[in-house]
Amino acid sequence: MIRAPEQSGRTLLVVVAALVASSCVTSRMEGNREAATGLAAGESVVIMAKSYHLGNETESDYVSCVEKAMQSGSGGLRVMPSSQFVDSLFPWFEPRTAPSETKGLDKLMARPGVKERIAQNGVRYIIWLDGDTERVAGGGSLSCAAGPGGGGCFGFAWWQKDADYTASVWDLREQESAGTVSADVSGTSYLPALVVPIPLIARTQAKACKGLANQLQAFINDDDVS
Amino acid sequence: MSPIRLSLLVSLLALFVAGCSTSVAIDTTTIPKPITATIPLVVAVRIPADFENFVYQEKVMGRQEWTIDLGRSNAEVFTQLFSHLFTELIVLSPDDNPADYTFDALIEPSIDDFEFSIPEQSQTDAFAVWIRYRLLVFDSAGNRYANWPVSAYGKSQKEGIGGTDALQRAAVLAMRDAAALVVTQMERATGLSALADGPLEESLIEEREQQFADEEGLTEEDSVRAILLTGLGGFQNDSGT
Repeated sequence: MIRAPEQSGRTLLVVVAALVASSCVTSRMEGNREAATGLAAGESVVIMAKSYHLGNETESDYVSCVEKAMQSGSGGLRVMPSSQFVDSLFPWFEPRTAPSETKGLDKLMARPGVKERIAQNGVRYIIWLDGDTERVAGGGSLSCAAGPGGGGCFGFAWWQKDADYTASVWDLREQESAGTVSADVSGTSYLPALVVPIPLIARTQAKACKGLANQLQAFINDDDVS
Repeated sequence: MSPIRLSLLVSLLALFVAGCSTSVAIDTTTIPKPITATIPLVVAVRIPADFENFVYQEKVMGRQEWTIDLGRSNAEVFTQLFSHLFTELIVLSPDDNPADYTFDALIEPSIDDFEFSIPEQSQTDAFAVWIRYRLLVFDSAGNRYANWPVSAYGKSQKEGIGGTDALQRAAVLAMRDAAALVVTQMERATGLSALADGPLEESLIEEREQQFADEEGLTEEDSVRAILLTGLGGFQNDSGT
């Protein structure tokens, strides 16, 4: 009898652990190389969201996450903040004016001052991010109530999110596409509640950020990406 | 009713009213110096009073009232823009008489239309802002030289609760979008660098006004009135000559 609370605590722990394990995230990363890559000393990359004028919905916090993740670790790269890059090249990388294809790079580089400014910034690659994280399914039922004696929740809810992102790498020196890297991550989150709700959140977007950043580091450093 | 109950009721009412209205104010907005060649013109910019302090109000979906106060940001953006774009810029207030100044061209910006959408309307996570500006360009004699509508768009993802920050960002992005369009298209759309050679030839004034009237769908009579108002009469100096 004395051990009963400890046992129920263990049972709860096992249940939570099982749910955590089952709130799994599945991911698929793919790379498609079109040209050799590599960064010389002093060269950097810039990560930008594709223009919303083209219907892109990439979240700004995702761009920041990839920026940060690409600078970390042993293969960390020099990343110029996108806002600084865009400001230094105003008005040629605004959502309205930025080239949507590498075909537009020749014309852009021929504009007075653009090539010089890019060289001054030391930016070798632009990585364009396209895609977003969407809630694709959900269900269950959860209700909460509160009264003078206290409150609580009861029920179970779940939802699934898909994070689907593609990064297109443009080589500004060669003025060509170096290839693409994509991340397709799917995660299901659960919210069981027995008086107290226990959120078991699948960090879908964070996983897509880290996975894509790792693949991009390897891609730029010309390690094998597959 | 006791004072406590009354104050509670007033507080609840105030909370309810505050919950149904949102105010967004845009602070100082700056744009970077563009990488473009300067157009060799002395330009005056006349900022109308309603452009200097633009406030937009709308009740969205018949419920929540939004007030967007762009403040001086439009005037700041266009003043910075033109100072980067032209050799010399003279900023005129609505009360200044252009005839007292020497310039090659006068530009008067205005806002024709302002629209925005919130996530509940667009069924996305984004706030969007559309601003339709109009740039009227006059020659040094006061003849209308160009009439250029500039449509700008800004969009920003909602982050956290509320959305005032996202709407603010969307409005700033729309202003910046307009600035980018003006930098890249001004010469092509207005051909104003020709004004370095002097004002419009008299033979071209009527033709140009008719062209504006056709674009605006005005009748011939309206066009004549427009010429009288903005064209042949030109700018008058303080002595009325």
